[in-house]
Amino acid sequence: MSEKLRLPAEERYGAELAALGKEGGGKPPGWAMTPRAVVTYLMGGKAADGTAISPKYVGDRRLIETAVSTLATDRALLLLGVPGTAKSWVSEHLSAAISGDSTLVVQCTAGTDENQIRYGWNYAQLLANGPSREALVATPLMRAMETGRLCRLEELTRMGSDVQDTLITVLSEMMMPIPELNQLVFAARGFNIIATANNRDKGVNELSSALKRRFNVVVLPLPSDPREEVAIVVKRVGEMAQNLDLPLPRNVAEEVARVVAIFRELRAGSTEDGKVALKTPSGGLSTAEAIAVMVGGISHATFFNKGDLTPDSLASNMIGAVVKDPVQDKIVLGEYLETVLKKRAGYERYYKSLIDQI
Amino acid sequence: MTGTVSIFGIRHHGPGSARRLVEVLDSLSPTAVLIEGPSDLSDMLPLLADPAMVTPVALLAYAEDDPANALFLPFEEYSPEYQAALWAVRHGAALRFIDLPAQDRLAPERPDVDTPVEGPDGDADPLIHDPIGVLARAAGYDDGESWWRDVIEENPSPGPVFAAVADAMAALRSEAGQPNRDEAAREAHMRLEIARAVNEFDGQVAVVCGAWHVPALTETHTMAADRRLLKGRPRTRIKATWAPWTEARLARSSGYGAGVVAPAWCTHLWRTAALPERDGIWLARIAQLMRDHGHFVSTASVIETHRLGIALAALRGRPAPGFEEWRDASISCLCFGERILWEQIASDLLIGARVGAIPETMPLAPLLDDLQRQQRATRLKPEALERELSVDLRSESGLLRSTLLHRLNAIDVPWGRLTDAGASRGTFREKWVICWEPEYAVRLVENLVYGSTIEEAASTRISEAMGAEPSLDALAGLVRSAMVADLPRASSIGIEALSHQAALTSECGALLRALPPMADVVRYGEARAGAAEKLGELMPRMVVQAALALPYAARNLDAAASVTLSGEIRQADGAIRLAQMDGDVLDGWHRALRHTLEDSQTTTLVAGSTAQLLYEAQHLDAEEAATLLARMLSPGTQVTDAAGFFEGFFEGVGNRLVHDQGLRAAVDAWLLQLEEADFVAHLPLFRRVFSALDRSERRRLMDALFVRRRAESGGLSLVPDADAVWSAQFPRLLALLEAGRRR
Repeated sequence: MSEKLRLPAEERYGAELAALGKEGGGKPPGWAMTPRAVVTYLMGGKAADGTAISPKYVGDRRLIETAVSTLATDRALLLLGVPGTAKSWVSEHLSAAISGDSTLVVQCTAGTDENQIRYGWNYAQLLANGPSREALVATPLMRAMETGRLCRLEELTRMGSDVQDTLITVLSEMMMPIPELNQLVFAARGFNIIATANNRDKGVNELSSALKRRFNVVVLPLPSDPREEVAIVVKRVGEMAQNLDLPLPRNVAEEVARVVAIFRELRAGSTEDGKVALKTPSGGLSTAEAIAVMVGGISHATFFNKGDLTPDSLASNMIGAVVKDPVQDKIVLGEYLETVLKKRAGYERYYKSLIDQI
Repeated sequence: MTGTVSIFGIRHHGPGSARRLVEVLDSLSPTAVLIEGPSDLSDMLPLLADPAMVTPVALLAYAEDDPANALFLPFEEYSPEYQAALWAVRHGAALRFIDLPAQDRLAPERPDVDTPVEGPDGDADPLIHDPIGVLARAAGYDDGESWWRDVIEENPSPGPVFAAVADAMAALRSEAGQPNRDEAAREAHMRLEIARAVNEFDGQVAVVCGAWHVPALTETHTMAADRRLLKGRPRTRIKATWAPWTEARLARSSGYGAGVVAPAWCTHLWRTAALPERDGIWLARIAQLMRDHGHFVSTASVIETHRLGIALAALRGRPAPGFEEWRDASISCLCFGERILWEQIASDLLIGARVGAIPETMPLAPLLDDLQRQQRATRLKPEALERELSVDLRSESGLLRSTLLHRLNAIDVPWGRLTDAGASRGTFREKWVICWEPEYAVRLVENLVYGSTIEEAASTRISEAMGAEPSLDALAGLVRSAMVADLPRASSIGIEALSHQAALTSECGALLRALPPMADVVRYGEARAGAAEKLGELMPRMVVQAALALPYAARNLDAAASVTLSGEIRQADGAIRLAQMDGDVLDGWHRALRHTLEDSQTTTLVAGSTAQLLYEAQHLDAEEAATLLARMLSPGTQVTDAAGFFEGFFEGVGNRLVHDQGLRAAVDAWLLQLEEADFVAHLPLFRRVFSALDRSERRRLMDALFVRRRAESGGLSLVPDADAVWSAQFPRLLALLEAGRRR
């Protein structure tokens, strides 16, 4: 048993990767296996030697095919999607399958600067001996370029636009200049970038069009099956409540089903039976927000409602999630309540609580 | 004389098939070409080679007494049948159709058959129409053409293509069970016709038919058994003609069973087959369409799309990128992963908009026939002089006439013009002016592309207009047209579109404007057997939506916008009253009106209008109204705002002032305290309000005002206990009179 809390993908699925790596066929330079084997690794199936491959991504095979094909050309891959759509998961497994290493990661934040993308300096060395390769601290990106592996950039759009644009030279010319040393680092074959970003959070450092153009984009959709989504929410809510030491009310599963149903309908712009078209609110209403609403509701129920989870406890959080624009979203929600929820059996209390608080 | 038969199983409207077929005909040089198609229409076939014939066109056969019962055989430049016919005409080979005659297939319905086999609505079984498409989908392709190309044409060792297809079909057919009676009869007929041709012609006889039929045509059956199958089938009299067709109606999504998924993709494949840059042409089209839709697409991105497409094809193990690869690559590189952007251009890209043409000399036209028949049925004669026609919708003949005229209007043949369009709607009487112009005949023929009967053409044309109509009120108008023209299919399409648009629109005005035509339709449901129930659900929803949006829409409007909005509110209110909404919805509407009235940000003209409507609906009692008016017209309100409220409140109902003292007092007080300049500035407004009163009303208003005023200002009044006082005065009065006489 390993002491590590969580093993990287290439160690957890080492056997599968080894089996797929043995498969013949044209491998792009620097790749550990053929593109088709990569798709099999993600979607599940059987390796040529009979090893069973577990599915890592449940969803549209075409999307994964497009992603793998993109990496097989020298274009960078951008995975877009609302939170909780397995972007980082897919990126980790793609790197594990293609380079055999998923650990070259840069987590981009508002505080990420160019030194964390290109290279930094060991200042003691720098002051003692002047600029030299020894005084230079390589970043994951630089190491990936030198060793011909994949570099993962998480949450690319959280990083400032000026820093993002550092990537343009790397992506278009496949080299990184070190002007201080008058040297260049050239990318070895097999190098590429997988970036992930959240496409609903508008206003955080949109990619410049010059950079966007250098990525092929694959949008990972929200779960298409309501039951799947309810299961995800129930599981995550359970975990979070445990972390927060909140007792879990008995009716959580039923209320999750209702909240997720409401969120799904508003998000999709039509009722689940497809009969009535609806306006969509400006917020994303992702699975993650449904989870937050439930956790907030449970906390309210625990401290202010004797542990009873009722629509009243949930309503204010739901309104907070739906109404991001005070005028437009209120109309949207009002219309939804009056035209859809009012007449739906089982949702009377939601209708009442929401209409009271809106 | 005996010929040798070669049977070529093709894919209807398959460019790959067509290309292979032409090659094989060139090498075979048959003396006769037999094509799957109604054998009694063989005479029409050579016309395909007429230079004035521009594809897409359709061979149209219809029952003489019932043109709605029609059979279409569309031909596109990439249809193998079309190429075979062209080849035969150019090389002087005999050319024939060999399928069951149209006379048989259009015969009145038999108990065991419910649809004509290849009617525009098509047969439900995709296996018979496009077995190759079914094979392709089984292999994971969205588009049969890509599969055909990958498996058959790009095959490094192409065997005899048509033999391979025949083998595949034999395997498929062995899985599929027995053909139904009509299918069996068709195949028997084809076998007999082939046998006849073999006896008649020397040399090679080429048979071109849907791939599905190939195994059946090569099986051996005795001629006697085949004849038995055909015996005693009913026949009917038919007419046939060529009709111009559209690319859109070749698409399977249009309801044509043997159609293709993407006609424009087929055209592209056919036209660019020999060009090395065919992929570039397709991608350039995608880029151009994206740019037309306002998206920025650089040439470099198009190049990346090309590279990704090739990589995708390699990953999927296909010899070359096809339709799906280009689609997936375009979504990723050009649309930034957004499927919605792709959907925006998909129909323009894949369906296409070309329309065919037929030679002018062509015998015409089922629509004219249909019109003549309906003119007889309704006893309406086409006359060049204007004539008035009054129609009673309660009588069957009246309804028939009205429906015909409405339908003709829908296909832009305005034989009749409704003169009292506004006034009589919803009643049982319509007044028309009818006048026939010769050019209407030409317009009718132009409408052939929409259908072979007036009903069908009107229905298709209105449905298409509905699909393209973005504005809610115009859409509601179209639904009304469809309802009055008794076109249930178009109506339900329209209601669907309306419901969709209504949900997405956030413009209150559009919702309000859509209500009056909808109320008409709901009421028309009573006079006509229309499908108004769905609308009965939709209208309350739209009222609720409009009610929710109204208070926001009424804020801070300029003069023109507030006049428009208050007009719309009035009309919508009328419609809501007409349509007799249930209490809940009506309450919601009145609540919204009140909310609008009470919101201090509401433009005063609109507030005035809502106050009037509430007052009329007795949701505002007299006392409240008087208080409100007094407040709105008090000196604290700006004169222009007060005038706006006054106008809104009294628009069209100035006579209220005659009867209601409280209102009158408030208005009176306001008018009196106006500065002269303000008064003069608003004179036109007062004139407008008071001009609605007739002479006697005006007089009574004057009386009401001035009688009261005289009573107040003259200082003379009646004393209630005059009796007692008067008797005391009496002697004094007498004394005065006495004194006067003495003098």
